[in-house]
Amino acid sequence: MKTKYSIWQWFVNIILLVIGVFCILPFILLFISSVTDEQSIVRNGYSFFPEAYSLSAYRYLWHDAERIFRAYGITIVITVIGTVVSLIITSLLAYPLSRKDMPMNKFWSFFVFFTMLINGGLVPTYLVYTQLFDFKNTLLALIVPGLLTNAFYVMLMRTFFATSIPAPVIESAKMDGAGEFKTFVQIVLPLSLPILATVGLFQTIHYWNDWFNGMIYVTDSKLFSLQNLLNRILLDIQFLTSSNFAGNQSDSVANIPTETVRMAMAVVGIIPILIAYPFFQKFFVKGLTIGAVKG
Amino acid sequence: MNKKSKMMQSGLALIVALGMLLAGCGAKNEGGATDSKTSPTTKNGKDLAPYEVTMAFFGSEQKDLQAVQDEMNKILKEKINTTVKLTPISISAWQQQTNLMLAGNEKIDLMFTSAGFNYGTQVAKGQLVQLDDLVEKYGSGIKKALEPYQLSAAKINGKSYAIPAVKDMASDYGILMRKDLVDKYKIDLSKIKSINDLDAVFQTIKDNEPNMVPLVAKNPGTGPFYAGYVLYDSLSGGIGVLPDYDNNMKVVNWYETAQYADQLNVLRKWYQSGYLLKDASTSKQDGRELVKNGKAFAYFSNLKPDSDVEASRKSGKEMTVVRLTPAYATTDMITSMMWSVPKNSEDPDRAMMVLNLLYSDKQLYNLFAWGIEGKHYVKKSENVIDYPAGVDITNTGYNFGTPYMFGNQFLSYTWSTGDPDIWKKTDQFNKGAKKSKALGFIFDVEKVKTEMAAVNNVLTEYVVGLETGTLDPAENLPKFIAKLKSAGIDNIISEKQKQLDEWAKTQK
Amino acid sequence: MTTIPAGKRIGKYRKYSALFLMMLPGILYIVINNYLPMFGVVIAFKDFNYSKGIFGSDWIGFENFEYLFKTEDALLITRNTILYNVVFIFLNLVIALGVAILLNEVKKRFLSQLYQSVILLPYLISMVIVGYLVFAMLSLETGFVNNTILPMLGIQEISWYSESKYWPYILTLVHIWKSAGYLCVIYLAAIIGIDPEYYEAATIDGASKWQQIKSITIPLIIPVITVMTLLQIGRIFYSDFGLFYQVPLNAGALQSTTNVIDTYVYRALMTLGDVGMSSAAGLYQSFVGFVLVLLSNYIVRKKNSDNALF
Repeated sequence: MKTKYSIWQWFVNIILLVIGVFCILPFILLFISSVTDEQSIVRNGYSFFPEAYSLSAYRYLWHDAERIFRAYGITIVITVIGTVVSLIITSLLAYPLSRKDMPMNKFWSFFVFFTMLINGGLVPTYLVYTQLFDFKNTLLALIVPGLLTNAFYVMLMRTFFATSIPAPVIESAKMDGAGEFKTFVQIVLPLSLPILATVGLFQTIHYWNDWFNGMIYVTDSKLFSLQNLLNRILLDIQFLTSSNFAGNQSDSVANIPTETVRMAMAVVGIIPILIAYPFFQKFFVKGLTIGAVKG
Repeated sequence: MNKKSKMMQSGLALIVALGMLLAGCGAKNEGGATDSKTSPTTKNGKDLAPYEVTMAFFGSEQKDLQAVQDEMNKILKEKINTTVKLTPISISAWQQQTNLMLAGNEKIDLMFTSAGFNYGTQVAKGQLVQLDDLVEKYGSGIKKALEPYQLSAAKINGKSYAIPAVKDMASDYGILMRKDLVDKYKIDLSKIKSINDLDAVFQTIKDNEPNMVPLVAKNPGTGPFYAGYVLYDSLSGGIGVLPDYDNNMKVVNWYETAQYADQLNVLRKWYQSGYLLKDASTSKQDGRELVKNGKAFAYFSNLKPDSDVEASRKSGKEMTVVRLTPAYATTDMITSMMWSVPKNSEDPDRAMMVLNLLYSDKQLYNLFAWGIEGKHYVKKSENVIDYPAGVDITNTGYNFGTPYMFGNQFLSYTWSTGDPDIWKKTDQFNKGAKKSKALGFIFDVEKVKTEMAAVNNVLTEYVVGLETGTLDPAENLPKFIAKLKSAGIDNIISEKQKQLDEWAKTQK
Repeated sequence: MTTIPAGKRIGKYRKYSALFLMMLPGILYIVINNYLPMFGVVIAFKDFNYSKGIFGSDWIGFENFEYLFKTEDALLITRNTILYNVVFIFLNLVIALGVAILLNEVKKRFLSQLYQSVILLPYLISMVIVGYLVFAMLSLETGFVNNTILPMLGIQEISWYSESKYWPYILTLVHIWKSAGYLCVIYLAAIIGIDPEYYEAATIDGASKWQQIKSITIPLIIPVITVMTLLQIGRIFYSDFGLFYQVPLNAGALQSTTNVIDTYVYRALMTLGDVGMSSAAGLYQSFVGFVLVLLSNYIVRKKNSDNALF
């Protein structure tokens, strides 16, 4: 038995190792490119083994440290607030939908799901947030539009609640005299840590990587988030390479940073998420069973 | 159940009410007067009520924007009791963001506009205020700075909706080459009269400089001739063009012309001889970057006076220029950088007053373009400036890099690395340039949008491949033309012809 | 809700009033964030004029939709969009689920967490950057594949960016590489949620690993699989713009296999910037997805109503 297990473990680990290498190599290339000498990129392209190394890209970013740290600050604020609020709203909405005894729960599920299929488009959404609510150039514009990211996580969480929390558990809690809310907080949530951690992680990534809301709702550079800053530059380059507008100007119309700087910016944007990841992994715990809660 | 449906009902009512509110927002300016709403006729600006003019233009955000804005406001406050709010918008977001701001009726008083960003459509869609009266009233500086034909190049149906920025308003085309290599291999520049004389030059470079590409495109992801060697008036963005800036006013499909086929053959030959980058069609690198890093020898470019000096400064290598075409002024060239007053402006009069100062007030212009003296530049002499000690392009707190956008560039100080007489030369260049026969014509794309959408896709499919020599024209040019036709290019061309004919009638 | 006067059927609703109250913030948010702007779909049928506003602009019927169909590429982009999505949905499921099951088997907690972090890495990299990295691999002048791998295998260099036939594979690979980690985490969360008692019982009965996976793991997470798949079907006319635009570097020669509805629309409207036409495209895409989801949800409900979305 024991040896059989070891073979299985070896098999599993080797496959995952191969997949892992496949995933991490491009990231390593990204990192190495960011510390490669600009000249050698222009001449030889990106390489795992560049001719010459240089920290000039990071030094270039350091010149801008004030702005970058500020953007980090904005990003952290919107990510933390956004994720927490979003988790609260999402789970509160998903739980009743998951209850089969809840009246009209199919209707409400459809009501929620429908928003994933049809949307009014950018212009009307923009009008709602800028005319009805005065969100233009505020932090709220970076938080509120992303709270339910397309209702996707509501549907996911609803399914999770419905499948992994047996109705008898809820029933018995109610027998003991617990109200709905108390049942939800004391029984359902603790049993749902993995899905809460998953949605929390994805919301964190979503807020961290969101540049679109920043692009349309924010013109005040004090409120630029990190990815907004980064994406403006990347997209500007892309625009310049594909628009017939730029070509007609005798000067380049934007200050295009060098390739290594673009790579360094990408690295700077990813690292913090990697550091935050283990925090969510803590909640990926097996054995949080019904028995455990009951006992 | 009753309760429930009642709740639903009131919910619906709420939605409808909010919807109406939105409708109201969009329609607030309906039929809004195009002429002045308030007309403070007093000459003395100090008697005006205070007003903030919001200026939207493309540019990356600048660290010291606020400081520069404050300085500008000191001048404006003094002169016309006005302040400005500078709102730079990054170029990739420009179209989307301005569309949204205009739809949302946000306050914008002065907005950058360009033929490259659908100036014609903006007018057709009712986004811009008509400016003729305002220029008459407050635009003395503008009228002085621009020649009448330049000012009217932006007219649509005889009415003006935007003011072109004063800069180089014409262009000729040619090739910029590294001077050290030209000297080293004793290349005789006087012998280069047309693109057909370049083969020998490129061959010399290829033979002697194995790590170098003889020719690159100026802009990444384009062909070398794109915006670098143009023989026609592009009549608002190309597709239907006027070859040789005349062609008896007959609009043609550029991609069907013999000239285009010849160019493609030359490019294909160059590609096969190894004069061009193998990756040219997907390259993400700017041609000037490649020259700077010693990987490329030459690129084609549109030119103005002292283009070689400017190119040398940018690429850090001394460049020499050979001009291959005469200089022409076209509508597209003049209207590439303009300022307009959107419908959203609450006080178009004041917007025009500010704009007028950007065309006439040297101090204000240079503040906007170069920032604060002592902080972002220092004066070497009356009109010549340089970076202060310890400051350069990489760490300056204010430099949009687009001095040609901010009004009257002829008011600009010159940098110590440049020619102090550049504006005199540019003025002569503008005046000396031939005028395209269609100068002043602007195409309104509205009627053929559907065709434009399909044609745009066909263009991205073929143009770059053909114009970088990576696709064989013998095989692909006929396919390209056939696909353009099926996408409806002929409709676009006949519509353009129709509009051009109508325009020509009004010019007599 | 809690203060409604007593009535005949109130009892039932009072019982659930707490649940309704819990839903309230979410429902309100959805009304504001999603339903309110839905009035905007009228833009698709209008010649939007800024001075007239959304509701004041003239109706023009389906004119804004014409460009989506009046092109010989219409069939091609629709085919590409659907084919890619079908392949993606299938491969995503198989690979992400497979990896999730493997991850669940790893005994060493440290290793498991390490693998989890690593496979999520690609999801964090912006597509623009992915485009650069793919170019680093495939470039003719400097690419890793052409300069290192192919010579080692004795194969002629390949001009990747002008040969459209390779791109269905390249794009699929990049897509899986980028999104499998994300889906994998979702499936893993579902698997972790399974009560270990099931496995303990099965092990005592002498069930092999494979049997356990087949008859415990997969059946128990079928609801999650169904939801994920239905959600993806709803977006079958959409595609990841970054993948199809940035990764092939907008190379024209590749359009026969890389042009999808989203990229077509982007290229069509980049210079036009027409609000009506872009709304029309969005409406068309969501309408098709809507119909397909209703259809597939109907089928699912026939089979097992618990798994259906609504």
